[in-house]
Amino acid sequence: MDSKEPLKKVLIVDDEEDMIWSLQKSLNNENLQVDITIASSGEDALKVLAVKPIDLVVTDIKMPGISGIDLLMRIRNRYPNTGVVVMTAFPSPEHKNEALAHGSLHYLEKPFDINELRRVIKEALAHDDLFKGTVSGIELSDIIQINCLSKSSTTLRVKTSSGREGRVYFNSGAIIHAECGSLAPEEAFYDILTFKGGMIECISTKALPKRTIEKDTEALLLEGMARLDELKAIEQDKKALGTPKVEMKVQNTDQDGDNKNEEEIMNGLKNLLAEFTNLPGVNTACLVGRDGFLLDSIAIAGTDSEMIGAIASSGFGASESMGNQLQKGGLTMTMIEYEQGPVMLAPIGREAFLVVVADKEANLGMIRLKIKKHAGEIEKTASI
Amino acid sequence: MGEGKILDIAHVSFLDMIKVMITMSGAAAAKGTLIRNALNTAEKIKEVEYASFNDFLAAIENASNPITMVEGKSTHIGDFVFGLQACPFGPSIKNYTSVFETLPDGYADFTEEFNKPGMITNKYRVGEGAGVSPFCSVHQPLRSAVAEKIKIGGKKIEIYQLGCKAGSGKKGFADKWIAETGVAREVVDKVLDNHMCCYFLKILN
Repeated sequence: MDSKEPLKKVLIVDDEEDMIWSLQKSLNNENLQVDITIASSGEDALKVLAVKPIDLVVTDIKMPGISGIDLLMRIRNRYPNTGVVVMTAFPSPEHKNEALAHGSLHYLEKPFDINELRRVIKEALAHDDLFKGTVSGIELSDIIQINCLSKSSTTLRVKTSSGREGRVYFNSGAIIHAECGSLAPEEAFYDILTFKGGMIECISTKALPKRTIEKDTEALLLEGMARLDELKAIEQDKKALGTPKVEMKVQNTDQDGDNKNEEEIMNGLKNLLAEFTNLPGVNTACLVGRDGFLLDSIAIAGTDSEMIGAIASSGFGASESMGNQLQKGGLTMTMIEYEQGPVMLAPIGREAFLVVVADKEANLGMIRLKIKKHAGEIEKTASI
Repeated sequence: MGEGKILDIAHVSFLDMIKVMITMSGAAAAKGTLIRNALNTAEKIKEVEYASFNDFLAAIENASNPITMVEGKSTHIGDFVFGLQACPFGPSIKNYTSVFETLPDGYADFTEEFNKPGMITNKYRVGEGAGVSPFCSVHQPLRSAVAEKIKIGGKKIEIYQLGCKAGSGKKGFADKWIAETGVAREVVDKVLDNHMCCYFLKILN
């Protein structure tokens, strides 16, 4: 530490006088030079905080009056730049989770080695050296991805202006746990992603809760983003209802042309394919036999649907074969991204598949949603 | 390696390529590719018109008939039922199995796939049980598509695949097309005793 810098200020809060005396006496040494203040209750601690800037509070949990957890919560709300470390002689998973959830940097169980406390304080004060401030105009998903990419071990606390609150826990960049109301951890994460606006706080912590989300973080993010897309698309779809689609060429693979029932089937299929082409940014939807022969399509002018079917069957077949080789089970959907937008392929029954060609602006979540919604209906209508 | 064990690599490559297609993209996509390939070949055949059915048969004899050009000489059994003496893929299969004993893996799945009812086999009146090897998915649609280029007495014709016989002697019958044409199954069975392929020619009104 640079000797010219002012000493960091540490407030120790405990109702046991012997403990305070002992800590005050033994904390300072050549490796940890700090300015120590003491308080024997939560109330006293708040009085100190009101008149003196404190870098770090080390507080016991079980105290008469304001408990350590209450104190922690008040500090997080009133003094967000002040770090808090919680210690207790009555450890429990619930206490630990509560403390970490409210932003405690560490959770110490008494009795502890004084060197351990020195190390914890040192780490917590080092955290204090990180940048702090306000960043606006950034998406929550971006912050989450930054934490993942930077391999952070941190708690991300998110609070909306309407008061909804959630937490996402990272361990070395992996999302290990999330909390939001009474939702299960994974669902909590997805729900937090849908928060619109508010405050975000990253709390560095070494003591993390037990891993409850086993899903791979990348898969979790993809699923979360897809759900977010779907949600946005539903909102857009509501707004876009009634917007006509222009310049569509209808291609119909007519086999006989004299069968009324077949005509009805084709009309039914057309209506279902239109569910896709009516989405903003989707220009072609084809129903293709597994052998690559076109069963029906709605395509933008200039698109050779027959050719799409023929080529897509290889891509679809290859994706399916790869899944079989990797023992990944049946193919449910596959997407190929090009510079000008994606192509999505999804099985329709056992004999056909759907090809959806979209622009890069298209809402993928909405396409996925439509596929899930209509795949069975298309299979039934086409009798495949 | 004896003289009889010399591989024709053109044949081997084709047969193994089918296996690769099945592995890479699945039997359905491989089937579609072979059928499209056949249809593209048929597209290159020039249209031809015969004044009468006898002229059509005469063109088979002198090998100028487009169908004969793609599969060799067939025999008119009677009542528009034809039998093809030799499978056009026979030499390839024989050459391959003379060295490797069995055809590549996946062929059975492919054949099963070809025999499934489907839009394209329905359109060309093939498969439906008449497929006995993956080569049938090339041969049968090719013949049907070539037939679209032929007129007899100013009328279009259609081919119905009735049955086929594998090199092992196992026969495959397309009961759907047998029923539709009204040809007795026993007739098809008998034709296949001495031929590898049996089909029906219909002159449209």
